[in-house]
Amino acid sequence: MKHSTSKHRHNPFWDFFASVKLAIVLLIILAIVSILGTLIPQQRDAVEFASRLSPFLLQIFISLDLFDMYHSVWFRILLGCIALNLIICSLDRLPATWKRFSARLEPDRTKPFDDLPQEQSSRTDETPQQAGGRIGRLLQSRYRKIREKEVGGDRFFYAEKGGLSHFGVYFVHLSVLLILAGGLLGSFFGFEAYVNILEGEQTDTVMLRKKMRPLKLDFEVRCDRFTVDFYENGAPREYRSDLSFLVNGKEIKRVGVLVNHPVEFMGVTFYQSSYGPAPGKTVDLRISGPGSGTSPIPMKVESGKAVDLPGGEGTFRVIDARGDIMNMGSAVLISIQPANTNETVEFWVFKNEEQALSRLPGPMRQSLKFNPAAFKPYTFFLDGLETQYYTGLQVNRDPGVSVVWIGCFLMVAGLFFTFFTSHRRIWVRVLGIGTGSRIDVAGMANKNPVGLERELDRLMKDMRKTAAGYEDV
Amino acid sequence: MIDSIILSYTTFVYFAAFMLYLLAMVMNRELLARLGTYASLIGLTAQTVAIILRWAASYRMGIGHAPFSNLYESLIFFAWTLMLLYMIIEWRTRNRTFGTFVTPLAFLAMAYASFSPNISSHIQPLIPALKSNWLISHVITCFFGYAAFGVSFGLSIMYLLKRLDASEKKNIFLKLIPPRGILDDLNYQMMVIGFLMLTLGIITGSVWAHSAWGSYWSWDPKETWSLITWLIYAAVIHSRMVRGWKGKKIAILSMVGFFCVLFTYFGVNYLAGLHSYAQ
Repeated sequence: MKHSTSKHRHNPFWDFFASVKLAIVLLIILAIVSILGTLIPQQRDAVEFASRLSPFLLQIFISLDLFDMYHSVWFRILLGCIALNLIICSLDRLPATWKRFSARLEPDRTKPFDDLPQEQSSRTDETPQQAGGRIGRLLQSRYRKIREKEVGGDRFFYAEKGGLSHFGVYFVHLSVLLILAGGLLGSFFGFEAYVNILEGEQTDTVMLRKKMRPLKLDFEVRCDRFTVDFYENGAPREYRSDLSFLVNGKEIKRVGVLVNHPVEFMGVTFYQSSYGPAPGKTVDLRISGPGSGTSPIPMKVESGKAVDLPGGEGTFRVIDARGDIMNMGSAVLISIQPANTNETVEFWVFKNEEQALSRLPGPMRQSLKFNPAAFKPYTFFLDGLETQYYTGLQVNRDPGVSVVWIGCFLMVAGLFFTFFTSHRRIWVRVLGIGTGSRIDVAGMANKNPVGLERELDRLMKDMRKTAAGYEDV
Repeated sequence: MIDSIILSYTTFVYFAAFMLYLLAMVMNRELLARLGTYASLIGLTAQTVAIILRWAASYRMGIGHAPFSNLYESLIFFAWTLMLLYMIIEWRTRNRTFGTFVTPLAFLAMAYASFSPNISSHIQPLIPALKSNWLISHVITCFFGYAAFGVSFGLSIMYLLKRLDASEKKNIFLKLIPPRGILDDLNYQMMVIGFLMLTLGIITGSVWAHSAWGSYWSWDPKETWSLITWLIYAAVIHSRMVRGWKGKKIAILSMVGFFCVLFTYFGVNYLAGLHSYAQ
C-alpha cells in the first residue's frame, strides 16, 4: 500500500498496523481459526473427544486452550490485533479522506469540461442570466451544497452530494470496534447463569455457567406455574413460566416468560430455556400384605421420606417418581430397607401395571426390579402421583448488548453509505454565445461512474423541461 | 399437498430452462435462449404461487407461519431467490448466457428439496424457538445473501471460462459470454449485495438469538460458519476496494466464498449445534 501523506511515516509500528495487507491476513487467520473451532468440539462437547486423544496431544490441546478457544487469551489477542489494525488503518487514512471530502472546488474550473461528450452540452435562446437563474433554482432543489460564480456575464455553478460516502467505511470500522467493545463489556460486567425452579418454589440463587458456582441475586424469583402444550403431532407448541419477582419478600412483579419473550427485572433478564418433570412430592400408594385384610391399605407418601411398613418389617421410601417412563406411564421407584438386614430391595411400581408388563421385553418381566411384589409378603400399587414440573431459566445480565446493537446499526448504515452512495460533484456553466447561451454539464464521482452518467442525463433532461426554446447543440 | 406437487414440477421446468440456455450457447441460437427465459419465468411464477399456497395452507391447518421453517422450505426459497435475482440480471444486462450458470444451482436446490428421501415436504408446526417475528427477516436476508453469492459463483465460473479463450476468441460457446470487464464488475456487485445481506442476516439472527436463547452470539457452528463466510467476503472486498485486485483472483476468491456459504448452509448439519431444526 502506498502511504498517504502520513506524519507517522517513520514509525514501523504504525506502518505495520496501518497496512490493509495486514487487515486481509488477519481476516483470513480469524476465518481459519474459527474453522478449527467448529471442527474441534468446544466446552462441554469436548469431554468425549478429549478422552480419545493421546496424553501428549491432550496436553497440547489443553495448553493452547483449544477446547474453549473462542474464550482463550490468544483468541482475544487476535481480536485485539484486528481492533488495533482497524483503528490505526482508519486513523492513517482519515486525513486524506477528510481532504477529499472537504475540498472546496471552484465553480469556474475548466478541467471537468475537458473532452466533454456532446450530449452533455446544449444551447438555449435565453441569456446566461435567464438560464442561470433557472438552473440555479433547479440545482438548489436537488443539492444541498451549491456554489456559484459570475465571470464576465457567464454563470458557473458547482453542486455536490453524497459526501458521506467517503466516511461509510469508517462507520463500518467503528461499528466493528463497538461490537467488540460491547462483547468485552458483557464479559466483564455481565454474567450468564441458569436456574431450575420447581413449580411453587422460589429462589434467589442462580448457577453461573462458566464458573459453575452459585450467584446470589438481589431479589427472589418464584415459579407460580409452568405449562407446556403440544401440537397434535406431539411437537411442543409453547412453553410458559409464570414468574413472580420478590424483593425482601414482597411481590413486585408477576409476569409470564415464553420462548422468544424474555423478561427483565432489575437489570437481569430471564429466558425460558428448558423444563422437565420433577419427582412429585406426594405419591398415592396402596399396599397389600399382612394386616391389610382384603383390600390394600391406601397411603399418601411424601417422596424421599422413610415410612414404616404396615407390619413393621422395615421402612420404605419413594426414591424416584416419573411422570412417564419409557412410554409406559407413570411409575415410582420404591426402596425398602428391611429391619433385619442392610440390603435394600428396590423395584419399580407402575400405575398401569398390566400395560407396563405387556410392553416390557421378556427377560425384564422376570426381573425383581419390575415386580411390585418383590418384597414378600407385600405388594405395592401406584394410584397416582402428583406431576410437577420445573422450569429451566437462562438468567443473564449483559450491559454490553445495547453497545452491540448500536454497532450493528452503524455497520449496516456504514455499508450502505460505502457501497450504495457516491460523492458526486457537478459543474454547470452557462456561457453567452451571440444572443443565446450554451449550457455545459460535467461531473465527477468517487465511485459508480454509471450512476453519475445517469444523474447527469437526468439533470440535462430536467433542465430542458424547465425551459422553453431550449434545444440540443 | 398441491404446493409440493407444483414445486416438484418446477424442478423440471428449471432443468428445461438450463438445457435451453446451454443449447442456445452451444448452437448459438438466440431463439433457444429466449425459450429458456420463458421457461425460467414460468418456473418462477409457478414457484411463487406454490410458496403462497403453502403459506396459506399452513394457516388453514391452524399452524400459520411463513414457509421458511425447515430444510425443504429453505431450499425452495433459496432456489426462488436465485431465480429472482437471475431474472433481474438477465433483464438488466440483456444477456442470457448467465442462465447457463445460474439455473443449474436453482435446479439442484429444487431437486434436492423435492427428491431427497431425507427431506420431508410436510408443513410442520413451528416449535417455540422459531415462533418469532425475526424468522421472516432473518431468512429473507440470509437467503438473498446466499443467492447473490450463488450468482457471483456462476459469474466467476463464466469469467474463468471466458479467460480460456482470451487470445483466440474462436470458441462459439464462449463468444456469447459478455466481456470479462463486465463479468468482473457484476461479480463484485453481487458480492457487495451478498455481503450486505449476509451482514443483515447475521445481525437479525443475533437479535433473534438474544431473545430466544439469551445470547446474541454463542459460537454455535452455524453462527461461526456464517462469520467465516463474512470474513472471507470482507477480505475479498478489501482486496478489491483498497488493493485493486481484479479478475481471476477475485473470481477464485468468490468461489472459495461460495464454498463457505454451502458449508454454512449444509455442512454444519454434520456438526452439532443450535440450528438443528434446519436439518
